[in-house]
Order: sequence, then C-alpha cells, then structure tokens
Amino acid sequence: MALSLGITSCADDFLNVDSRETVEARDKDVTYEPEAFINGVYGMFTEWDYAFSFLGITDMLSDNADKGSSLTDKGTDKDVLDDLTYNAGNAGSFHAMWTRWYKTIGRATLAIEYTENFGLTDQAYKNRLIGEARFIRALNYFYLVRGWGAVPLQHLDLKRRAPEAEVYAYIEQDLLAAIDVLPLKSGYAAKDLGRATKGAAQGLLSKVYLYQKKYQQAADMAKTVLASGQYSLEPDYAKIWREEGENGRESLFEFQARGVSIAHGIQQYSQTQGARGTGGWGWGFNTPTDNLVKAFLAEKDSIRMNATIMFRGETLYDGRVVNAGAENAMYNEKAYDSANPGGADNGKNLRYLRLGEIYLILAEAANELGNTAEALQALNTVRSRVKLPAYTSSNQAEIRNKIWNERRLELAFEHDRWSDLVRTRKAEEAMKANGKDFKPAKHYLFPVHTNQLIQIPGFEQNPNW
Amino acid sequence: MEKVQRFKGYLNSLNPVLLLGLVMLLAWSIPLHAEARVAEIKGTVKDSKGEALIGASINVKGKTTGTMADVNGNFSIQVDANDILVVSYVGYVSQEVSVNGRSVVNVVLMEDQSLLEEVVVVGYGTQKKADLTGAIANIKTEEITKQPATSAMQSIQGKIAGATIIANEAPGSTPTVLIRGMGTALGGRNPLYVVDGMPVDNINNIHPNDIQSMDILKDASSASIYGLRAANGVVIVTTKKGKSGKMQISYDGYMGVKGVLNRVEMANAQQYITYFNENLDNIAAANQPWRLKPNQANNTDWYNELLQKGQQMSHSVNLSGGSENVDFFVSYNNLAEEGILKGAKYQRNTLRNNNQYRFFKDRLKINQTLNFTFTEAQPKGYGLFNEAYRQSPLVPVWYANGRAGRTVWNRTTGIVGYERNAGETVGNLNSIGNPVYSLMQQRELLNTNTLQGGFDAEVKITDYLKFNSRVGATRYGSRSRNFTDVRNNWLNADPTRTEAEFNTLKAANPTTTAYANNSFSYSTSESFRWVWENFATFQKSFGNHNLEATAGFSREKVGIGSGISGTGYDVPRQEQYWNINLGTGGYQKTINQTYYTPRALASYFARAQYNFNSKYYLTATVRRDGSSVFKNSQEYWGTFPSVGAGWTVSNESFMKDSFLDYLKVRANWGKLGNQDIPLNVSQILTDAGSSNRNYVFGAGQDLVFGAVYGTPAVDVSWEVTTETGFGADFALLKDRLSGSIDYYHKLNTNAILLVTPTFTSEYENNFYAHGAKVLNSGIELGLNWSDKTEIGLKYSVGVNYAYNKNTVKDVTPAYDGQTGGSLGNGQITKQLKEGYPIYAWWMYEANGVWQTKEELNAKDVVKLGSPRPGHLKYADTNSDSLINNLDKVFYGSYLPTSTYGVNLSVEYKNIDLSVYGYGVGGNQIYNGLKGTRIDGGENVPLDLFEKRWHGAGTSTVDPGADRDSYASSYYLEPGGFFRINNITLGYTLNKLYSGSSKLRVYATAQNPLMFTKYTGFSPEIADNGDPSGTSGIELSAYPTTRNFIIGLNLQF
Repeated sequence: MALSLGITSCADDFLNVDSRETVEARDKDVTYEPEAFINGVYGMFTEWDYAFSFLGITDMLSDNADKGSSLTDKGTDKDVLDDLTYNAGNAGSFHAMWTRWYKTIGRATLAIEYTENFGLTDQAYKNRLIGEARFIRALNYFYLVRGWGAVPLQHLDLKRRAPEAEVYAYIEQDLLAAIDVLPLKSGYAAKDLGRATKGAAQGLLSKVYLYQKKYQQAADMAKTVLASGQYSLEPDYAKIWREEGENGRESLFEFQARGVSIAHGIQQYSQTQGARGTGGWGWGFNTPTDNLVKAFLAEKDSIRMNATIMFRGETLYDGRVVNAGAENAMYNEKAYDSANPGGADNGKNLRYLRLGEIYLILAEAANELGNTAEALQALNTVRSRVKLPAYTSSNQAEIRNKIWNERRLELAFEHDRWSDLVRTRKAEEAMKANGKDFKPAKHYLFPVHTNQLIQIPGFEQNPNW
Repeated sequence: MEKVQRFKGYLNSLNPVLLLGLVMLLAWSIPLHAEARVAEIKGTVKDSKGEALIGASINVKGKTTGTMADVNGNFSIQVDANDILVVSYVGYVSQEVSVNGRSVVNVVLMEDQSLLEEVVVVGYGTQKKADLTGAIANIKTEEITKQPATSAMQSIQGKIAGATIIANEAPGSTPTVLIRGMGTALGGRNPLYVVDGMPVDNINNIHPNDIQSMDILKDASSASIYGLRAANGVVIVTTKKGKSGKMQISYDGYMGVKGVLNRVEMANAQQYITYFNENLDNIAAANQPWRLKPNQANNTDWYNELLQKGQQMSHSVNLSGGSENVDFFVSYNNLAEEGILKGAKYQRNTLRNNNQYRFFKDRLKINQTLNFTFTEAQPKGYGLFNEAYRQSPLVPVWYANGRAGRTVWNRTTGIVGYERNAGETVGNLNSIGNPVYSLMQQRELLNTNTLQGGFDAEVKITDYLKFNSRVGATRYGSRSRNFTDVRNNWLNADPTRTEAEFNTLKAANPTTTAYANNSFSYSTSESFRWVWENFATFQKSFGNHNLEATAGFSREKVGIGSGISGTGYDVPRQEQYWNINLGTGGYQKTINQTYYTPRALASYFARAQYNFNSKYYLTATVRRDGSSVFKNSQEYWGTFPSVGAGWTVSNESFMKDSFLDYLKVRANWGKLGNQDIPLNVSQILTDAGSSNRNYVFGAGQDLVFGAVYGTPAVDVSWEVTTETGFGADFALLKDRLSGSIDYYHKLNTNAILLVTPTFTSEYENNFYAHGAKVLNSGIELGLNWSDKTEIGLKYSVGVNYAYNKNTVKDVTPAYDGQTGGSLGNGQITKQLKEGYPIYAWWMYEANGVWQTKEELNAKDVVKLGSPRPGHLKYADTNSDSLINNLDKVFYGSYLPTSTYGVNLSVEYKNIDLSVYGYGVGGNQIYNGLKGTRIDGGENVPLDLFEKRWHGAGTSTVDPGADRDSYASSYYLEPGGFFRINNITLGYTLNKLYSGSSKLRVYATAQNPLMFTKYTGFSPEIADNGDPSGTSGIELSAYPTTRNFIIGLNLQF
C-alpha cells in the first residue's frame, strides 16, 4: 500500500519530461538575446513567396512582364494574373503575400515586445533593434495598403479593415520612430551591413508620402536622404543588380542573400526567373514583355534595356550564353545570379530601395509642387547616368508623364510597376496597350482571397470582387 | 516534507530487479499445504492416435499436488483413493479422471476441436474465447505463414472483419492498418502493438514465422486495458515458445518472383506524337509553329527499361524443446527481397531466443524473450514510377555519346534529339527526368538494427493468486548514407555539356556546392524505450461463481535517443572512401544533431471478470494513464473505464434441444484514449540552415541565426473515444457452421485538428486544438463452414465482411474546412468538413468538354481560368457566375466503406489447397498520374489517348491533348477491387525419419488476379496513412505486384 502510494506521488515527476528538441518559451530568457528575434523578422524576406507569388502580383500583373515559362505551365495561378482574369478564389498568390506580410508584421511586433522587456542596458542598442523591427513592419504594411487599400491593423483588430489613411498614419508613425533611433548606413559595424538604416527609413518614408500625395514631405524627406552623404549613384547602371553591386553606394535597403554554402537567400528567386529549356537553368517565369522592350526602344535606352533583359542567344556579361534554344525570348536579368544561377538558394540580393528611385521621388514631388527646375534636375541626374539626353519641358503634365515613364524604365523588374500603374491611375490605359482588359471598377484593388473570407466570416471584400 | 522526499528517493532507487527479488521472497515464505500421501499410482497420457503427450500436466483436483508426463507419456503421483485427477495439455480438452482406488490410470486426451475452447491473449492475461464479452479476433501461426510477407500484418489482410489493411509491396515496407475505421484527423492512426506483453510501435522486426498467434482487440471493453493508447485498437503478438518434450527442429523456406500485376498501357511513340501535336495545334500560338515529325528514332517503353522481375527468398530455421525446468525456442530467419525497380533491395536477418525457466515446482516461471534484427536496404524512390509514366517514348534511354537521354528536340526539324544546325531552335518536350538515369543515381543505403527483449517473472503465490513482474526494452538504431554524383548529374542534364565546362564553373565558384564533384551525406539515429509492469492475478471459483481479477501498474519511457547527420562534398569516387572527413574543396560541411524529447507514461490498471455457471458474464476494466505529452497543461492523467456483458444463451436449459449448438450475445461499452498527438508547447523556433528564421548580414554576407516565436500553445489533451458495441457468436449444425456478428458505434469525442491562425494575426504556425468529433460506426460479420466428408476430405469455407461509415461531426465553426490532398501542382483535392467522411474528396465537378471557340466566347459563359476548346468544363455549382473554391463538390472518401474476405481450404490425404480473396468497396481513388500535368509534353496512358477530344464533337466527356490540370471529378475513379490474394497448393509427406517428422512442399500464387475499374497501377494507396496527405492519390505509388512462390516446410 505504502509502496503504491509512493509511486503515485512521484509519478508526476516521472511524467514531467524535459523538452530537449525545441526550446520551450519559458526557457527563452536564458537562451536568446533580443537580436536573434530581430534577425528572425528579416528572415521573412528569404521566403519562397517572394520568388513566385510576389512576382505574380507585382510584375506579371503589369505591362512589364508576362507569365513566361511554357504555355501549359500555369505556375499555379500566374496565367490568370497575367491575363487579369483572376478572381477572389483562383489566385493563391494574393493569399500567399497577404499572409506573408501579416506574419512578418507579427514577427516584428513580437520581437519589439521581447526586446522592450528583456532588460537590455545599452539603450541605444535596444532602440536600434526596435527601430529595425518598426522599419520592417512599416515596409510590410506599405505592401498591404498598396495592394488592398483598407486593411486590418493587426494590433487593433484582425477583422476590421482600417481605412487607408489610418494604415498610412501607422506606417508613418513607425518610420518616424525608426528614423529617430536607427544609425546611418556608415554608423553600423561591417558585420551589420544590411540592417535597416536611418537612410532606408527616410527613403521609404518619402515614398510613403508620395503615395499619399504629401508632396512637400516627400520632397523634403528625399532631399534629407540625398543630403545625408551616405549614398551616391552607381555610375554603371548595369552593375547595380550584379553581385559586385550588392549593398553598393546606391543601396538604401536590400533583401540579403548569400550563394555559398550554407546558401541562404530568397528561396529560388533566381531559379524561377532563370532561362528555361535547353541550356537553361531555371523555370523561365516573369519574362519581359514586348511592350517593355518597345518602351526602352522608344527612349533609345539601350543601357537599361540590356541590364534588365536577357535575350535568348545573348552572351551575358559573365560569359554565359543564354542558349538559342531557350523556351522564352527574354528573361529578367535583374534576377540572374551569375555564380549560382539555378540553385535553390542563391546569392541574389533583392534591391528594395535605392538612390535612383529617391531622385525620381524628388522629381515627381517637386514637379507636383511646381518646382520644375528641381524636378528636372533630379530627373536628369538619373537619365544622365544611362547616357540619355537631359529632358527639358515647362509643362507640368508632360514632366509628370516623363517621370512616370522614367520610373518604368529605371525600376523595371524591381517589383514596383503595378503599384505605380495603380497609384498614377494609368493602369487602364497601359494595360490596354499591353492587350489586357483592365476593369477600373475592381482591378485597382486586389481581391481578398476566399480563404480569408471563409476563415473570418463577414470579412469585407473589396468592391466588385 | 523532507521525509516524503527521502521516501521518494528511496523509491526511485528501487529497481525492477530488486522488487522482483522481494516478491519472490514473499512467495517462498508462504507455507505449502501438507498432504496425506496414501498411495502412488502410475499411468500414461496419450492422444487419440496413441502418441505420448510429453509434458502433459496431471494435478489432483482441489490440492496442490501435481506432476508432468515424461517423454514416453508416463507419470506417477501420490494420491488418495478418492482423488480426482485433472489432466491437461495445451491444444487438448482437459479431462477429469477419478482414481477410484486404481493403481494405474491411463488417459487419452482428445484434441481440442472447438474454436470456442481457444485461448486468446488479452492484455495482462489470457482468456478462453468462450468467456469473452468483447470482440477479439485471433489468428494463428498457420494463417499468418500461409501468406508469406515481410510483415505479419500484410499476411492477415482480408482475414479479420473490421481490420482494414492497405498493402504496400515495396521491399521492406509495411502496410497501413486501420481497425474499425479512421478515428482521428491528426493523431496517431496505428494500433498499439503489444509483443509478448511489451508495447511497441511496430512489428517490423519480427519475422512472421516466429509468431505463434496474433490477437486483435477491436472493441473498447477489450482494448481499454491499454487506456490512453487503445483508441486505434490493440494488436497483441505472441511469439513462439518451446514446448516441454522432444526437441524439434524445423526449416521453412520459400522463394518467389514478382512482377507488376496491373501494368498501365501507355501511348506509344506515334500516339505520343499525335497527342503532342494536337496539344500545340489546339493552343495555336503564333510563336509556336513547331510540330513533331512522324516516325522518330525511338519508341522507349520506360516501364520495360525501369522494371525487372522482383525476387524474394526466405529461410527460417528453428529449434525448440524443453525439459522439466526449461523450455527453449531459438530461431534464425533470413528474408531477402529484390524489388521490381532495378537495384532495390531489402534484407532482414532476425535471431530469436525465447526461454521459459521454472523454479520451485513451477511456482516461479521466468519467461525471457530476446530478438535481434538487422536490416539492410537499398531503397529506390517511388517517384520513378511517376517519371516513367510521364516521360515521352521518343526520348532514348541513352544517347550514342553515353549520356542520359533528355527531352530535347529540334523544333526546326521536328526531330527529337539534341543535334542542331546553325539557325535551328531546340526545345524540351517536357520537364520530366530520365527515370533510368535517376534510378542509377539513387545510391541510398540504409541499415537498421533492433534489439528487443524482456523478462517476465510469474510467481504463483497461492493456487488462486499469482504475481507478474516484467521488464522489456527495445533499442533501435539506424544508419543511412547517400552519395550524389553532382558532376555526373550536371553533365547528364544536357548532352552537349563538357567536362571542361564543368571544371571552369567549378574553378570560378569554388564554394558553390552546385559545382562540387559530389556530395555525401550520412546520418545515424538511435532510440531506446523501456517498460516495467507489475500486476497480480486472482482467479477462483466459488461454486458456480467464477471470478478473475487483475490489477497492476506500469512505467514506460519511449523515444530516448538522438540523431545526427552531416553532409560533405568532393569525397573520393571510390565507395570505400565515402567519408565526410575525406571530403575536399572549399565547401562548407554541414552537421545537424538533436536529442529527441522522450515521452513517459505511468499507468494503473485493473480488470475483473465474473461469470455465473458459464452463462452470465460480466467484465469491468479501468485504466488510469498519465502521459508526459500533456506537460503543457500539467493535466497528465486520464481514466478509461469499460464494461462488457455476455450471456451464453445456449447454456440455458431451455435451449437444450435448439438447432443452435452455441449462442452467445455480448454488449460492451468503453472509453479509449489516443495520446499520440503532436506536442503543443509554446516554442521558440530556430533553424541551423537556410530557413526564414535566419538571415544574411555583413560585408562578408554571413549567415546569421535568428529566432521566432511559435504560436502560443493551446492546451490539448488526449483524444477520447467512446465506443458501444453489441455482438453475437453462434454455432450450429454440429458446430459445422459458426460465425459472429458485431455492431459498433465508435466516437472520437474530441478530435484534434490542425488549426491555421487567423491569416491577419501575428502567429504563423498552425496549432492543434480540439475541434471535432469523428464517428465510425459499422458492422462486422464472419461466417465459417467446415466439415469433413466420409472419404476423409476436410474442407472449410469462410467469409467475412465489414461495413464502416465515417463521419466528421460537430466541427468548431472556425476550424472547419481544413484542406488536404495536395497534388503538388497547386491543386488540392480533400477537405475536412462537418457531415462528410474525414478528409473527403472535394473538387470541381467536370461536366463536359468545351467544343468550340464560339461556345467559349458566348456572352455570360461561366468558365474557370482561360480554357480553350477541348478543356474540361466545370460546374458553377453555386450559380454565382464564378468558378472558384466555393463550387467544389464532395465526392466520398478514399477510405472504403466495405471490406470483405473469402477463404476456402481443402485437405484431402496429403494434399492441401487454400484460396484467399480480399476486396474493398465504396471508395474513390484520384488518378493523379493522369490528371497532373505541367508541360503538356508528358506521355499519357493509352485509354486516355484513345478517348480524347480531338475536334468539335469528338468527345463530350474526355479532354483533348490540350487540357488544364485543375483537380476535378474527371480524374476520380472508383477504388473498389476484388483480388485473389493467395492460392496455395501443398503436398505433405509424413513420417519421413520418425513419427513426427514431415515435409510439406507448396506452391503459392499471390495476387494472381484482381478485378477493378481503376485504371492506374494500384488501387491500394495508403501513402503514409495520413488522411490529409496523398493517401488515395496515385502519384508515385508502388504498383501492386503478382508473386509466384514455391516453398517447403521440413520438420524433424
């Protein structure tokens, strides 16, 4: 009797088995520094979604890119994205990015909480870490608000779609806070290259202002970046997207990647967009359109065209030949990773924000404010790098269109074209020219995927989807 | 408090062996009864044929006096003149003989013919079948070995109503076993296996020849003695033991050949060309003017190139025997198999030694079991079956230059091949690999070893009370290595590539593993488990009241172990030097190591069985289990009660003249648990490699590790299944016709679902939560007719049938609608939804074929995607003028509702013949091979080619060569089949060297015939058994094979 009682009393001890495979949350304080959690937020930028779904809803939708690949390979939903025949239920790419962006925001918020409560004594370091996370949170909300307009603010309500202005206000709040605490690009130790900087936050904020048509603030913020002394234009445009141009003088923020073992980068980003078929190394998705080629040719812009597009049969800068038997006529050269072209993980940094765009933001904002000279000067700085003649005009509308076209050519395949078409309300016209039927009543906003509508009954859909 | 601590410490230091010693001491100290010895009598015990029954036990009724018959069947014993002797022998009907003053008593025991006298093994004891109140199926060694297989579970397919066994015929694989339906979405689905009293995960380490019997506890009142792990049923395996008496040596061996049973006929080269060109014609893209020319060089039959005749061979030798105090059984088995994929091999060697030691006039018995198993396997990926299906017949296996054939074709000339003149363009037919080359490059080698053994000490304290203490342990280790010839793969990916090109790339990218010569990975893991059980059994009759009670406790720890794996590059080419350490070059080696979190289980259990005069039966069982799995909530403990009742109607006096020889009705109810659910603790997630938790920072682009919050744990506890059952057993016509019928209603009351956090929330990882009920209800029916004709022909015919209905009920609203059954091309085919079977088929309804462009371009036409003529039409089932997920329809389940088996056996003189058949019905199988296409240049089966749409009006059902790859009802096919599992013809030569020696030779055809409407390779597609995965979807399934076997049994 005593024996069995004794056994009962120690049974709970027997059952309390220590976790060995994964670290339990209760043991986290003794195991992890806050920086690890901040790193984990950045880690989201290496997700596979950015190598496929992201391409679908940023480039393939637009007049810059076709689905590519073979006619029969739909890339899950890339055919309907390319054709603008997607609906709320058949395009998983929207759902993938919607979820990815919200989860990244979540990681940032949780990392901030952890950092705040951890008890770091070095206040500047602590603030920097929090600033990094706030920058990434803002960046992700910016993706969401551009795509869907009103979206839930995660910390307030998972269902209620906060009006666009409210979302933008939250983005600005994060970026302003980040600007206060983040170091300059030169203020980081070499080992921290790639972390969010003050300049990155300022540059992003100027773009956020531009989207809200807050032109004065956009221009001011752009000028702050230009005056910071941290950045200058890379003289050779073609080098920006090459290995040697990674984190270069022009770079404000990039999604980091390494090609050597253990390779780690946006999973399959170069592979999905690599040349397909004979002698190829990739899946051949996200291919440049004839429409884009025409746009380059119209501007006689061969430098940027050749840096942006790999043509079938072309010998690339590193000596590799794009086989004349490749499946598609053109591929995205900005995704090409010379050292590791077909690897699942590759070394291609995605250039998220660079000085070239800051000049164009300044140009656009200044033009809207009526500062024609300032606008033209900024615009022509970008043009002169690629050996294009200086542009002159005194017509605000003409300058505006010129700047928008310049954005298209300068930033082609930098995953901004669709947002620009939507923002500038040029989408209908541009897509028509590209042979696609853009319906203004619905296509200005992405549909909320049916998965989300099913998961949260009563979740509000965008108009006409 | 301190005292308690000290006491605990003392208890912890108590080890099983010490306790055993204590118990033995206790037993020894009980004084024996002194008996009045009046006279010694002598006698013999023989069977009806006059053979001595060596080791038969002779006891004096009501006293403790007893002895055993010697090798000649003789015995002597001291008795009173009025004593009654109880003579018994395993497999024979016990007899009571009055001494009546005689000095010589000869006894003839009759063989136990009645099934109802059979003894079945229940948890922690045995029971006569006639005394059961639950549903237990018993299978004997002969039934198991008649269907030779790697795993005994495969051998019993179709022989037990209510056990659905989905076979997998790859070398060394194990079948999927479901007892009374799929009762869980995510929890463990496997039954609990108990080998000689020790709970284990599987019985892969046991050669079927070493198994004496298997008892399957199907119902709750039988299984609940295993409480928290019994929800999926319990399979009790008893391995062979020695028998007192003469030494026996026997040999069993067989060999056989295997081939694919249902080979799918594929389109040939010319048909492929037609199909390929029709696809392009239909797409009619201006920038794709190319077509294939007729009459190409190759017409490769990829299955012919890939497959070979498989072979299997098994040898078993066993020795058994016993003396007064020791019985022994020793066996060695070797099983070797070569699969139908060239190079696929599996070999298993097992060594077993089971002994029983008896001390103190049998008051203490120690059973010891020990089994050592080594396996060596060269597995080949099932994905090759997929590649062989899809690869074009125009592609050669090898090019003339020795490189692997690829899908390159010259678009200008229309000829398949890589030759190209200037100005000509080339393309690829598809993106499928060369299956023959892929097979050659698979060099995995897998070794495992399992050491399993136990001690069971049984102390007979008094006539009616015994105590058992047993310890058991299993140690499992595995080693695997894999070599990838990166250089060769790179060169063979394109016939025009040269070594020099590779060398240039390698030199330019000295750290990029894509240009290493090779990569070599190695991993080992080991795990250990132990169990310690103690229980006492009380058995006594008080007049007509018979009572048996068992109570005890156990401790168990499983999953103690660790794993380590590493990868290196550029190891020497020779196999003997495949060491990571011998790797060269500037490549970073990787290493991963982890310790597993073990699971601990503490349990208390008790069972009482009472019957009145073998008419009225009552069984009550309770088990209290604590499991470390539920650490997060600290709610470790669960209690699982059950009751069963039985009434042997035929033992009533009013049934004396009935046509029924035997009738028993049974009812039972019980609660069962399933603890085999994933751990749900709040975690910090990290990763050592390329994952989205890590990032790259720094001028040198260093990999920097990060950490991420997992989704906070929601407390989950064991799944609780309640089951109610009724049944009846009967025999009539002089026991020639016997059978049983059972009904059950088995409800998993709190099934765990994998819940996706709200997409807009901060939490990423899916988490587990209770959110549904899963009901399985059904009937099981077994009928057996056996008779012996006047000319000495013995025959029997048996049928069994089981019907099971699976329904998901009461799903928490937000948790409903989990999807599954991914086809790997972005399409999903299953959904878990209230009111339907678990992960039922859910897809678009194909309702025709688009015939013309006009039809497609008509106003208000509702279509999915951007179809062209020849594509399938899909139904807008909710009539919202859109086709999306909301239009998908439910189409039943991949799980059969009906399973049935038939068996026939005939014995006449020296000849024996048996036939087994097995079938399932009521299920659907998704032919993913047909349905999923990526490039449009994949090959197609002949039937699809012949039925295809090829121009307006040619078909309104079957799609054309240009088709989409949406998952739809078009590719869903009836999964029912009936298969002859086994036909065996044997011939026995008796009395070869001595009275008991015999030789039997036999020939067996396994799966000689199958009747099915399914058009793929195998309607038996369990995959890994996960209902949300590709179970029931043929993508890379191993084909059903047909085997011809000859074998012999030799016994001395």
